[in-house]
Amino acid sequence: MGEGVGALSIDTAAGDGAGGARRPRKVVLLGNPNVGKSALFNALTGLRATVSNYPGTTVEVCRGRLSGSDTEVVDSPGLNSLLPLSEDEQVTWDLVRSMRGERDAVVVQVADAKNLRRALLLTLQLGQLEVPTVLVLNMHDEAEARGIRVDLPGLEAAVGVPVRTTVATRGLGIEGVTAALAAARAPHDHLPLPEDAAPALDLLTGRADLSASPPACLARYHESLLSHADRIARRHATEGGSGSAHLSRRLGRLAIHPVWGWPILAAVLWALYELVGVFGAGALVDLMEKRLFREYLDPWAVALFSHLPWAIARDLFVGEYGLITMGLSYGLAIVLPIVLTFFTAFAVLEDSGYLPRLAVMSDRVFRLMGLNGKAVLPMVLGLGCDTMATLTTRILPTRKERLLATLLLALGVPCSAQLGVILAMLAVVPLAAAAVWLAAVAGVMVAVGWLAARLLPGERGDFVIELPPMRLPVLQNVLSKTAARVEWYLKEALPLFLVGTLVLFALQRLRLLDKVIRLGEPIVKGVLGLPAEASAAFLIGFLRRDFAATRLFDMSRGGGLDVVQLVVAMVTITLFIPCIANVFMIAKERGFKSAAAMSAFIFPLAFATGGLVRLFMHAVGFRGAP
Amino acid sequence: MTTASLASATDAVTCSLCGFEYVPGGDACRERGCPVALGGCATRHCPRCGHTVPDEERSAAARLVRRLFRPRPPRSGETLAELGSGSRGVVERILGDPGLRARLTAQGLAPGVAVHVLQTTPACVIEVGETTIALERRVAEAVKLRRDQAGGVESPAAGREPTT
Repeated sequence: MGEGVGALSIDTAAGDGAGGARRPRKVVLLGNPNVGKSALFNALTGLRATVSNYPGTTVEVCRGRLSGSDTEVVDSPGLNSLLPLSEDEQVTWDLVRSMRGERDAVVVQVADAKNLRRALLLTLQLGQLEVPTVLVLNMHDEAEARGIRVDLPGLEAAVGVPVRTTVATRGLGIEGVTAALAAARAPHDHLPLPEDAAPALDLLTGRADLSASPPACLARYHESLLSHADRIARRHATEGGSGSAHLSRRLGRLAIHPVWGWPILAAVLWALYELVGVFGAGALVDLMEKRLFREYLDPWAVALFSHLPWAIARDLFVGEYGLITMGLSYGLAIVLPIVLTFFTAFAVLEDSGYLPRLAVMSDRVFRLMGLNGKAVLPMVLGLGCDTMATLTTRILPTRKERLLATLLLALGVPCSAQLGVILAMLAVVPLAAAAVWLAAVAGVMVAVGWLAARLLPGERGDFVIELPPMRLPVLQNVLSKTAARVEWYLKEALPLFLVGTLVLFALQRLRLLDKVIRLGEPIVKGVLGLPAEASAAFLIGFLRRDFAATRLFDMSRGGGLDVVQLVVAMVTITLFIPCIANVFMIAKERGFKSAAAMSAFIFPLAFATGGLVRLFMHAVGFRGAP
Repeated sequence: MTTASLASATDAVTCSLCGFEYVPGGDACRERGCPVALGGCATRHCPRCGHTVPDEERSAAARLVRRLFRPRPPRSGETLAELGSGSRGVVERILGDPGLRARLTAQGLAPGVAVHVLQTTPACVIEVGETTIALERRVAEAVKLRRDQAGGVESPAAGREPTT
């Protein structure tokens, strides 16, 4: 490989945008996980980002424009090597490779200033790909606090690219990065690679394809890059103290402690319940539904539409199955507060660095189901939105695990809207009845996971997860993340709520509702022991199960269901597929066949489990009104 | 309590109230005619101020509590899975499938690198430079360590003898 590729640039590397600085047209942010890429992205673009799928894939990429210019900024998933070992990394690899020919595209490599060695591994690979780069040492304050000193000019000369320092979360050093863009150049490619590692270069540059099983040369290749990186880091940065007395470090250790980890986990769950269950599903829903909708919006809408001369139009908007009185009020009053509080809590957990630690604590449980601890991330996210979580299953290393996690999400993880209804239900039935619901759903999940893990071909992936330091989440980042997720959720859920209402309205108008109810009677009344009217709710359950749960809960509030019926209904509807959007997502991610097979498996299982729960509860002697 | 005073009187303890250093038990108790001195006395009685404390060494409950807080003495071994919490080692090579090796090396876990084991359950957690990585036992078993154990002495509790 050409020793001279980057040699020309040493003398000018340190200069800020020499002369008539030409801004690049495209900037790609790239770096190891948890180095603050998103924070730098927000700082560079001023938060005007759009989340979009990377062309040809479903991996999401944030795009925005550089503040005060039309330069496009693209965020990318975090990665440890540019060799595409997983689906996420493949995207970044494509992105970087497509830039090789482009004159005006620049990579901004974001690095953790404390962990120069690992960052330089990527920088060296960018050099091999000959991509113009600016190296940004982020979290500079943390590094300084640890006593790490970086010799910037020396590092610039050694690597051959402009190096800047930032504290992205506080917006420090951002102008320096913008100014350095014009001075970006390809890092030195100083590698005479050892012979047994050389074939990896063809994979990196795309001259050879990565076949199904990665060859042994990849590890050798990383090793030789690492030792180069190590040499550079040692020469140009001092080693820092370990900072062992640091509170965040102690907390990070305690969160995975074999003894103290459990009380911490319990405390986190309790806080989550208080915020989402008590505050969101309780206080906020009350405020929205009883005050805002029942007292103001509904009467106001009824008054407004009473001027319409056609009864059918009045009923369409404000009738029993009205778009406003039912669709909007279910969607906004019941779903929005829960989704909002859940995603806020989730963003806090995500930014604090607790989730990978949760993965460590729950590894054993997931191993039972043929998964490993990493699966806890999509599972917890699934408590917010199962469709979103189905996308996240991509972080799991093997196809088998992705399939298993997708199935379990669709089967038993209630999304936040449904969780809210369930929490409301738990408040009115005896504790023992609520425990039956929990045991039935958890039991079915573990049993199905255990069985499927044995029946599906393939291996469980190895559990290796990096634990980022625990950090205090930054309010701005938490809010923007929450806003983006709530927007996604509403865009997806609200139209379906309206469609569901329309279907019910149309069925009722066409006098088909009675037919549906009679059609569903053998199952709904015979197997589940519910009033035949519940058929309509289950029908809507095919669109969104939380909508159906809300409907059932409404029925029970009118005194229509006793304790056994309520629990049976909730178990059945929890085990339904979350929503039609989820089915589409499964089809998109895992193929049409998988989606069809899962649906064919889940619906009968849900009814069968409901029937069994009914028999069990009668046998044990539950009875009476809630 | 310094190491010197420990060496001169092996069983000496310091009274937590008056600071007097004394050897509990022995003839002093019997001479005073203490009725429990003949049997298994589980207290320490300061001869100067009379302050009496339970002997924690004799209490099963106290020993249990101490064990909860005491870090396991570091063990040395041939693979990462055999190391106890608090011990250090240097990676010699990583076995197992090439994909896993490629991923581990990309995370900075490579031959010649020093690792520090933070804990072993519920998963093995190691520090490699500034990176903390959790790995399951199966993966830890694939990481072979150097036998000469150059790094083993750096551990804070390395003075203790390895127990098996």
